[in-house]
Amino acid sequence: MSEVQSPTPGRAPGFSDWVGPAAERRRAVTDAFVDTFTAWGYAYLATPLVEPLTTVAAGVAGGSQTQLFRFMDADGDLLALVGERTVSVARVVATQLQGGPFPLRLCYSGPVLFNRPPLGGRRREAMQAGCELIGHAGLAADAECIAVAAAALERAGMGGVQIDVGHADFIPSLLDQAHLGPEQRAIVAGAVRRRDLVAVEAALEGTEVAEADRALLLAFPTLRGGREILEMAGARLTAVRPRAVIEELARLWDLLDGHGITDRAHLDLGAVRDWDYYTGPTFELFSSDLGFPLGSGGRYDRLLGAFGLEAPATGFVLHVDRCCDALLRGSGDETPRLPLRLGHSVRGAAGAVEIAARLRRAGHPVALDLESTEPPAGDVVGWAHADGPGGLRWRLPGKQGTGVDALLAELDAGRARQ
Amino acid sequence: MSPLRLALPGGALFEDACRLLTDAGVADADPHAFDRKLRVVDGAKSLVKVRPTDVPVYVEMGACDAGIVGKDVLWESPRDCYELVDLRFGGCRLVLAALEGSPLAAGTWPRSLRAATKYPVAARRFFDSLGVAAELIKLHGSVELAPIMGLADCVVDITATGRTLAANHLVEVAEAGRSTARLIVNQASLKTRSDAVDRLATALRRAVAPAEPDVPAAPPVRRAPA
Repeated sequence: MSEVQSPTPGRAPGFSDWVGPAAERRRAVTDAFVDTFTAWGYAYLATPLVEPLTTVAAGVAGGSQTQLFRFMDADGDLLALVGERTVSVARVVATQLQGGPFPLRLCYSGPVLFNRPPLGGRRREAMQAGCELIGHAGLAADAECIAVAAAALERAGMGGVQIDVGHADFIPSLLDQAHLGPEQRAIVAGAVRRRDLVAVEAALEGTEVAEADRALLLAFPTLRGGREILEMAGARLTAVRPRAVIEELARLWDLLDGHGITDRAHLDLGAVRDWDYYTGPTFELFSSDLGFPLGSGGRYDRLLGAFGLEAPATGFVLHVDRCCDALLRGSGDETPRLPLRLGHSVRGAAGAVEIAARLRRAGHPVALDLESTEPPAGDVVGWAHADGPGGLRWRLPGKQGTGVDALLAELDAGRARQ
Repeated sequence: MSPLRLALPGGALFEDACRLLTDAGVADADPHAFDRKLRVVDGAKSLVKVRPTDVPVYVEMGACDAGIVGKDVLWESPRDCYELVDLRFGGCRLVLAALEGSPLAAGTWPRSLRAATKYPVAARRFFDSLGVAAELIKLHGSVELAPIMGLADCVVDITATGRTLAANHLVEVAEAGRSTARLIVNQASLKTRSDAVDRLATALRRAVAPAEPDVPAAPPVRRAPA
């Protein structure tokens, strides 16, 4: 018996091809995101897929670097395929755009790669699109980023997302006011970071943390709600720093209200994010159709400093592929818009080119038959013939007509119905 | 609203998990309902029975909103889930055990050590905490056989009663961790279905509350051997 051979040419495990409606959906979602970003005044920026490992390390903690594809170039320098693009944008700002004018509004889209083991169900290549707003320390910048993210998702067909707004300093400030020893603090912080409430409980056991602080820390996954939760938490807090966080979130909420998006926003005091990276308000976007966030963001005032430019910054990333998953689960597989196929007789061929151009100008994709037919083939939507009135005889399912104007009217009506 | 989807671990924890859900008033979970089918829908809950190691996969990927799983499973495959409640059943310990009469069983740690285990991640963390350079051999079952056949000097394995260890002439040298069943929750479900998840966690917490916490959550760190 011969060796079993792979029936098809191989594709690296954990990577996907995008074909047909899935490809079209992915492109449309990416475009909707970037179009929204640019409509809000964010300038598009393209950065490389490869960065020096030292550059990547400025934004990615040591442990997560093992999740990157890393390699050596001919000079022996260590390089990595980017696992996110904020660091690249920060590098560009700190080098080529350090003169401003600030605030800088920048946006990007592109693939990112993860060297995680395949078969885990997680993608190893993902499309991301995001914005960075650099050089403004005020909450107006944070609110704008949240509003842009919400607008982008809405434009891509995801109006019903849930926005969870938190603050990177809330849990650390609680830990600080709890008077834990450095070792205990690290254990509790680690448990919160792992989202392991059982371990938080165990770690607080036997410590001299005040009952009120303990209760707040143990309630971290449930400290969520509307603006009222701030009053509730504020009443239980005495220390200056956590109170400052609460006041900041209250002001941010009012700004979000101004953007008209508090109907889908929640405040989430227990949001667990990378506290070494984020320095202020943070947010995550969820759909009830998906088990992962569709996007996330927040204030990261220290990152630019790692590249020698002290500048406050805030931004967000949207996960295009997860958004496509959520769209697919929410609405089922919508029928993709196929191009019209336009046939023609030998004598109508020249006219057909013109008709196709007119239909395309009107925004309808048209594929022109490469060979003349006689009479029209079954599934041809339009069939141009020089003798026909208006130069076209056309057919839509169950309909027959005669002119380009009538076809255009029919197509526009069909598009309006969608 | 679609039913809350719960992943239950087949195997040793299964019946206790079903009993807890029923006692807590979460769902009418009759273990025998799963004899022929793998998914049971009871009102606002959809219950699936999967292999214990698959529970965190279902929950992390959002195929289930929440799951019940032993902490020992989470040691080996840490996933991006919330771990909300210690359910206090299915208690077991991860121990280092060696053959009766061996130097290690008498408390003498050899310079180098070969340990057979089904729990390489937890075993690695245990040996690292002791500062012992151990070579781990990952096995998939009948770990107790490894010292008898000379494959390893010792085992790092789960024990509930100690009977299997004793039957294979193994004695416990040190404890590497303690495990009980946990309630884990998908990160998005915690936010998008927070009311249902909160009710579930509260009901389960209340149902298991009377017992003293006999098992600490974090594996205790043992003093390094002299």
